[in-house]
Amino acid sequence: MADIVDIAVGAGSFNTLVQAVQAADLVETLKSPGPFTVFAPNDEAFAKLPPGTIQTLVQNIPQLTRILTYHVVPGKLVQSDLAKLGTVTSVEGSAIKIDCSDGFEVKNSTVLAADIEADNGVIHVIDTVILMG
Amino acid sequence: MIEIPEKPSTKIPPSTHEFADVIHRLEAGGSMLPDTPENLMQIIGIYKAYAVPMDFYWRDLLYIAEQVFLNPFPFFKYFISPEYLDRHNHYAGDDADLRIWRGEATAHPELLAFIERGETSKMPKLFHHLFHDRINMEFAEACMRAMLWHRNMYAPVNKFDAYLDSEEYKANADKAIKAYFQGNPAMLGMYKLFPDMFLEQVRQLSYYSNLGLFWEVMAPVFFEMSDIYDEGGFPGVPDAMNFLVNGIFAIAGRPIYHHVYIRGECYEIIPKSKGFTWLYEAALPYVEAIFYRTAPFRGTKSYNAQAQQVPEDQKDFHYGILYADVFPVGTAGIPPTLLMQDMLHFLPQYLVDYYQQYCRREDDMLIQLGISFQRSMYNVTSAVIQALRTALLYPLDDPNPKHLQANREFFEAQLNRFSRPEYGINKAARLRDIQRPDYR
Repeated sequence: MADIVDIAVGAGSFNTLVQAVQAADLVETLKSPGPFTVFAPNDEAFAKLPPGTIQTLVQNIPQLTRILTYHVVPGKLVQSDLAKLGTVTSVEGSAIKIDCSDGFEVKNSTVLAADIEADNGVIHVIDTVILMG
Repeated sequence: MIEIPEKPSTKIPPSTHEFADVIHRLEAGGSMLPDTPENLMQIIGIYKAYAVPMDFYWRDLLYIAEQVFLNPFPFFKYFISPEYLDRHNHYAGDDADLRIWRGEATAHPELLAFIERGETSKMPKLFHHLFHDRINMEFAEACMRAMLWHRNMYAPVNKFDAYLDSEEYKANADKAIKAYFQGNPAMLGMYKLFPDMFLEQVRQLSYYSNLGLFWEVMAPVFFEMSDIYDEGGFPGVPDAMNFLVNGIFAIAGRPIYHHVYIRGECYEIIPKSKGFTWLYEAALPYVEAIFYRTAPFRGTKSYNAQAQQVPEDQKDFHYGILYADVFPVGTAGIPPTLLMQDMLHFLPQYLVDYYQQYCRREDDMLIQLGISFQRSMYNVTSAVIQALRTALLYPLDDPNPKHLQANREFFEAQLNRFSRPEYGINKAARLRDIQRPDYR
């Protein structure tokens, strides 16, 4: 199997995310044994953000890192684990609400593909970039 | 055969909220402020008149935070250095990080003209200051102090305040304090005796920096909106609101920090690497502390503890511009007068002509523009509400009724802040008034 970063690169639909992770120097972290649960916004999710948002973040790496680490949860949590927990705390420190009552929703995003297994964790693909607050 | 009427466009039943009209307007992508050409003209004209003094406020706030620092006798803190007037705004000019205003990055020409001539004539800065022919910088400081006093707004997502209490912050501040008073045994002795007194002053200076960095963004946003309006670019109030929403997102990730310059050396009291952002650590706390809360006006409320006019809990404070009674502007004990007086100098001609037609014409222009200002800040708050909805909830055209219901509950919760009966909050809120064109 491959690690989280390799899977994202290989999938081809996470170009913005991969670029952002590289810019924020998080590649090594996400290649480490972890394990991590990553909510991965696809390219369409990033495209929904108003213009300028990404540009400002890429100019300011610590701030970009903060947004990206909000999408990562320590530990390997598959959909059934997340459903039981209801709320998880991200690496950034803020809470993420999970709703599995009707489909699989992470905060205000919908999971498009759940439980993609990686060597060092699990990936859930989401359709919206999630933000703290 | 009876034709079945088309289903209404709302996918969920109408709201039963007291402000249902406003909620439906927000759900349709509108603003709390009704969409009329007159409202659009008022709010844009005020953005322009506000942006010029704001261009001074942000520069001087950063000048005080970075250069004046702990000066025990800051007599000249409003005498901003030429470097800070020439300082390039990060969001205007050719070398901008992200160009919002197409104009220049240095201080606005109308501001420079006012600093030189004021309302009187060309004379040394000191005389302008002593004749009170100047920008009322005390207003900016009052906003800063309100943010300081209402600390922890939007916590725990806002991590700024928690950091101000951390050992790391204290160590950074300690280095800067010792460097600033180097060779001054009297002040260093005082610092040894009363370390917290100095530390609290540094925290206040960190808020100078926070607010300065916040307004550095708002000034070019307002200038650009005024330019777009002059070019005929905004068809209605919702378009003006959406420009603000996009601006909020574009700048959301800019760093909030506090750097101090002592004898040419930079001391990072709050480094950029802490990851503090414009949206979470400056904009949202600002909206809560200034638009909603602030502090009771000395001229309208009694601080008498027995009278119980002023709430016990800070969360019940309702003295921001969204609740303010603008009518007594210009009288004693009404702090926004300072800002209204500042804006008066920079009104576009179309607003001056407009105010000439109503009420007491030029005699009560301060009040009339104050009410336009209130309208414009309801529009800014609408932009914040829509931005939060975009960031944390769902699109307005989401096909899922459960998502629409979540948006509805969010909007209702926001407007409940204008309906609460405690301390007469519902009577103070001006949301109902701004729905009427004859509120002036």
